[in-house]
Amino acid sequence: MAESVVRRRAALRVLGRLAGRLGGALFVLWAVASITFFAVRLIPGDPAQAVLGGPGSQASPEALAAVTAEYGFDQPVIVQYFAQLGRLATGDLGRSYALNMDVGPLVLSQLGGTLVLAVLSLALAWLLALALATWSTRGGLVAARVATSLEIVAAALPHFWLATSLIVVLSIWLGLLPPISTGGVAGLVLPVLTLAIPLAGFLGQIMRESLLTALESPFVLSARARGESERGALWIHALRHASLPAISLSGWAFGSLISGAVVVETIFARPGLGRTLLGAVTLRDVPVVIGVVMIVAVAYILMTLLTDAASRLVDPRLRLS
Amino acid sequence: MLAATTGIIAVGLLVAGCTQAGPNEPVGEPRSGGTLTYASGDAEPSCLDPHVGGNFPQALVSAQYLESLVSRDSGGRIIPWLAESWTPSDDGLTWDFTLRDDVTFTDGTVFDAEAVRANIAHLQDPTTLSSTGYLALGKVAGVEAVSSTVVRFTLSEPDSALLESLSQPWLAMESPTALLRSQDENCASPVGTGPFIVESWVKQNAVTLVRNDDYVSPPADAGHSGPAYLDEVIWRFIPDSASRYAALQAGEVDVIDNAQPDTIMQAEQSDAIEQLDSPRPGAANRIELNSGQAPFDDVRVREAFIRSANVDDAVSSLFQGTATRSYSALSSVEATAVSNAALFDYDPAAAATLLDEAGWTESDADGYRVKNGVRLSVEFPVSTNQSIPAEQSVFEQIQATAKETGFEVKLAPLDLSSWYAALAANDYDAVSAPYTKVGPDVLRILYHSDSIVPAPSGYFANLAQVSDPDIDELLTTAARTTDADERRDLYSDAQDRILEGFYVLPLYDQQNHFLLRSDVVGLRTLPTVAVPTLYDAWLNR
Repeated sequence: MAESVVRRRAALRVLGRLAGRLGGALFVLWAVASITFFAVRLIPGDPAQAVLGGPGSQASPEALAAVTAEYGFDQPVIVQYFAQLGRLATGDLGRSYALNMDVGPLVLSQLGGTLVLAVLSLALAWLLALALATWSTRGGLVAARVATSLEIVAAALPHFWLATSLIVVLSIWLGLLPPISTGGVAGLVLPVLTLAIPLAGFLGQIMRESLLTALESPFVLSARARGESERGALWIHALRHASLPAISLSGWAFGSLISGAVVVETIFARPGLGRTLLGAVTLRDVPVVIGVVMIVAVAYILMTLLTDAASRLVDPRLRLS
Repeated sequence: MLAATTGIIAVGLLVAGCTQAGPNEPVGEPRSGGTLTYASGDAEPSCLDPHVGGNFPQALVSAQYLESLVSRDSGGRIIPWLAESWTPSDDGLTWDFTLRDDVTFTDGTVFDAEAVRANIAHLQDPTTLSSTGYLALGKVAGVEAVSSTVVRFTLSEPDSALLESLSQPWLAMESPTALLRSQDENCASPVGTGPFIVESWVKQNAVTLVRNDDYVSPPADAGHSGPAYLDEVIWRFIPDSASRYAALQAGEVDVIDNAQPDTIMQAEQSDAIEQLDSPRPGAANRIELNSGQAPFDDVRVREAFIRSANVDDAVSSLFQGTATRSYSALSSVEATAVSNAALFDYDPAAAATLLDEAGWTESDADGYRVKNGVRLSVEFPVSTNQSIPAEQSVFEQIQATAKETGFEVKLAPLDLSSWYAALAANDYDAVSAPYTKVGPDVLRILYHSDSIVPAPSGYFANLAQVSDPDIDELLTTAARTTDADERRDLYSDAQDRILEGFYVLPLYDQQNHFLLRSDVVGLRTLPTVAVPTLYDAWLNR
């Protein structure tokens, strides 16, 4: 009897937490859609021009009138806002003003390229950061100094500068890799390096710090006292502890990778959400801007849930609470 | 001062002389086959049918698969293309075009008078959302098929620019069968009579074109007849200038457009890369001075600004010899262009005197001229999409030299939409806006007072806000005068008045540089709007 009450309470708690998460996610999506809508509509520029072939179009009065009526640009902005919100609520992302395409299929067709880029960059950044962090804690004072400087420099590198430098060195001087995306694996290397290196510097700084703390903690000492090897102490105990802050930061990092994709996809001429977004903002193509930002928001929310779950997996203390 | 100016002109001529020779010397017999990759720095079109909207990126790619009724040769003469000949009536209100009878569209539809009628109707249909083509057909009241090979255009008033308008890629002929499809379908795969066929379009990546093996209709000035040499063309979009050039160096692409001065200079050191310089027709790149409001409503202040701007030194240092200074409102490729260098001498002393005469006699603490407590400020919105970095630097040089005379030039870099919004709000004193059109009729669009009246979108082309009944009269008469000599004289007079009124500060032709791998042979631009044609191109590898 008492056991079932406890179980029901536990289930309710889980349900409550899920409902809270879901509500939070919906709120984020609504806020993102609203802020994007007003941000794009408040900067100067007429969306009707996007439909008519770009800004400064010399469209005939008839064409302009037809477009204005069809898209409802003559309605007050607030009416257009609620119309947009209503469509979004039913899952309809609308139709691009400029691209003669529905936003849903457009965004989905561009999502893959950006996800591949972001996931690979995140993975590579993790590898690089881990390698640097472990080397710096085990390789003595020189290693620590070198690793620290590398991390600081890497974290400060702007994407556009790094991309251009990588192209000059690896493509033009050494001729190793194509300077633009070619659809194959070779074309992915430079874009992934561009996104991964600054992120690795950032993650590495955090990992090294918590790794040092962990290695000096009592639990590592007791593991050593139990006869755990130095390698075991590092890999089984300390790293697990040290990776926690980096895991929870990965959700944020994923978001920053998507924004980095705007620069990287443009420079390497890769198809993807970043380039779509840039083009859409230039043209005031509101439905595409909102569509891309919504997809990114969904990805961000999912990523946060994933890092949350990952933290619970790595850290048993979180599972208890 | 005079010597310096002459020196720059000499350098400019030298550069022009080099590029006119053309990069592609004949290298043996042309060979068929191979894939050419073209990388465009222009925006990816949202629709591959240039009837819809009608901008330069569409013209670039569509010239590979669509053809026009007429073309223009490098001397500026209109030459046959899909139309073999044409005859205007004596009153200039009826034009009969005789069409080639051996041409079919690549979907099998026959090209005939009915097809021409359907195309003009498509352009004039408001639901097509055509801007450029629609505007060019403003005087066309009706089109009828007299026989299968004769089509008659009826005009509401004589139009001396009709042939020039019809030569533009935005008025190219498409299969009437294909035009019956939905606009989405037609945008994705327009069907023409050209040397290539649109096979596929992966957005944000590439348009793939394949050879039209049944091709018979090159323009009269083409280098060969029969099908194109290339099997396939991959048309890519690489927005970043440095990556575009890197891709060319690495051999990933064979031709790039929108080459910037720094890359052109680099390319000159390389044996593997050639240059093709082909200024666009229509207007020269120029700064328009807004004569509709203070301070430039006073001709003396306009002249003072022009005299205070050291454009020659700015252009030669920032474009490193890749651009030639212009002293004309029109592009140097227009045979009717009038050039008057004496009007644009850099002369700060004369500028100062002119400002004194105009009442801008005081100076404030920052060294700017002041009149009735108002500083002599020039709002100058700059489109970062249209003005390349070198041009933006030229504006900064002009800002610096004009400051010495007492002008405060406020440069405001804006994205394209914001820039058009600033112009529509009349929130500018100086502005540079490119305008591409075949023939001198562009003068009427840019400087007739009718063009001050904004379109419903807020757009107006007469950014100098020239409102001079004499200029209006000259331009209106010229647009109705089909006699070539008479027409040239009228445009010549109109240009004299525009230049002498100090409404514009010409900079250079609208730059249009291509870089190509040395083994790409036979690439040329169409002398209509200077878009490249890959019809004669072949790979020597």
